[in-house]
Amino acid sequence: MAFKDNREFIEALEKTGDVVVVKKEVDWDMEAGAISRRACELSGPAILFQKIKDYPEGYRIFAAPVATYRRVAIAMGLPADTPIKTIYDEYERREEDSIPPVVVKNGPCKENILLGDDIDLYRLPSPMCHDGDGGRYIGTWGFVASKDLDNEWANWGMYRFHVNNQRSLAMSPAPGSNLGMVLRQQYLPQKLPLPVAAVVGADPLSSIAASAGYAVGRNEADLAGGLRQEPVELIKCETNDILVPAHAEIVIEGEILPDVSAAEGPFGEYPGYRSRGFEPKLYCRVTAITYRNSPILTMSNLGVPPDDSHVGGCLSTAVSVKRRVEQAGVPVVDCYVPPEGAAFMAIVSVKKGGNEVAQTIGNAIGRRRAWISKIIVVDDDVDVFDMRQVIHALSVKCHSTRGIFLKDTPPGTGNPFSPCDDAEEKKHSIGAVAVFDCTWPSHWPKDQIPVKASFNTIYPQEIRDRVLANWSEYGL
Amino acid sequence: MVKEYSTFVSAPQGLPEGQEIKLAIKDLTPGPRKYDCRIVKAIVASSSDRIEGGDVLWLKSLVGITSPKPWAIKILEELGDSIPRPPYSELIQVTEALNEGLTLE
Repeated sequence: MAFKDNREFIEALEKTGDVVVVKKEVDWDMEAGAISRRACELSGPAILFQKIKDYPEGYRIFAAPVATYRRVAIAMGLPADTPIKTIYDEYERREEDSIPPVVVKNGPCKENILLGDDIDLYRLPSPMCHDGDGGRYIGTWGFVASKDLDNEWANWGMYRFHVNNQRSLAMSPAPGSNLGMVLRQQYLPQKLPLPVAAVVGADPLSSIAASAGYAVGRNEADLAGGLRQEPVELIKCETNDILVPAHAEIVIEGEILPDVSAAEGPFGEYPGYRSRGFEPKLYCRVTAITYRNSPILTMSNLGVPPDDSHVGGCLSTAVSVKRRVEQAGVPVVDCYVPPEGAAFMAIVSVKKGGNEVAQTIGNAIGRRRAWISKIIVVDDDVDVFDMRQVIHALSVKCHSTRGIFLKDTPPGTGNPFSPCDDAEEKKHSIGAVAVFDCTWPSHWPKDQIPVKASFNTIYPQEIRDRVLANWSEYGL
Repeated sequence: MVKEYSTFVSAPQGLPEGQEIKLAIKDLTPGPRKYDCRIVKAIVASSSDRIEGGDVLWLKSLVGITSPKPWAIKILEELGDSIPRPPYSELIQVTEALNEGLTLE
């Protein structure tokens, strides 16, 4: 059975010791952020802050929900100590079997409904995550639900958004994101407002689904159903036709206006730096707020790895990368997006390598968006989930000139959060991709390929069997 | 009672002192409405001596680093909460967008 909401998920985390309940009052103004940031950097537990300064009893913040693979495993209903590769394999299996949502008439997200003059975003304990941020980010592990103007494509995307004032949000989806694309291509030319619903505190797998790089035209709600292995219950918004998870903690309905912008950012982002300035972004006029009694606001306090974006978020990224590479005709064994790489690095293992294969992989990954800028290609004898093996392969098998391929990508495809891009590159979202080919050249004769000097590869089976059988007798 | 605000600028020395300027400011009044964003027409100065009855304005760099010495601000007019510029206009800073035609370094 999937968790229908974060409350059930938190109960499960309590049973395994993967959440700490903080009863002492904490300040929403940086204190909660600083605590969760440090906890993430220590790979510590999730945190449920029970008492928030300035806010009524029962208004809570749930920080770092899926910032460790243990918590991702629990979210998926797997044992907490499930190996990363097994989590990846299970995610991939479930992703292939999407399940459409069901629409319900009633749900707890409607327990409180604020309309008209009652709308006030300051009723909710939005955190000031880091010193120097551009606002109180109520959306750090929340998602924005929207619809395609023409064909009812319902998109969920995880984009940051902060409180602009009592009745408006400042949102930051990139122009190349799915929401950005729909807005630019369909709504702005007709000067139409784009109806949206910002969902905060959906069940853990719906949130992971929203963070996925799912194909244009496919509904993340179907993916969420697949991951959950049962449909998500959706409910219609009060002021538009958007469907949102009925068990979400908070839903902020609104419309992105076509003729004005909001002052958005900066924010300490997932690459681990606050690198992008205070810029005009999307202005969302709030038309309704609905929320559960004693709402639990979700916070992912992004920064240096690991946090939710590097663990839960990278899982879906890796699977979508693998699909893209397979579609390019490359037989992929495994693909891993390691948390330490902050979603800028992908490691791909292949059955048969060589320069051409490595370049094909680079082209496939950077085709639409070059947000992953470092791609390491390894042979299938390297476990992509073991960074010791990956660094070894990178160090000794990647030729320092012939093994590295560099490519600029077209304007609009670069990662807007890349800290190393200069002002001009940021202005035009110009990207660049580096591919590190750590595979043996395809034209090398088999009998000249170097032999790996490891226990499993350089000794006869008979010797290995004897050593293993006698291991304890050696006193080891 | 002197109030405190903050704003983000690319370079403090480029802010025109004593001249009407449009700014996006955050209200730093403690409490649940702290960091409320307002667009205002205001006069700013690098020292409180130069603006009678002015409030405090903390300047932050575009990546959020606060200048050690605050400026002063006198708000002349409230201009709402949005910037009159369509989404996804060319990447530009907020202050630039609000003051097109006025050179701000």
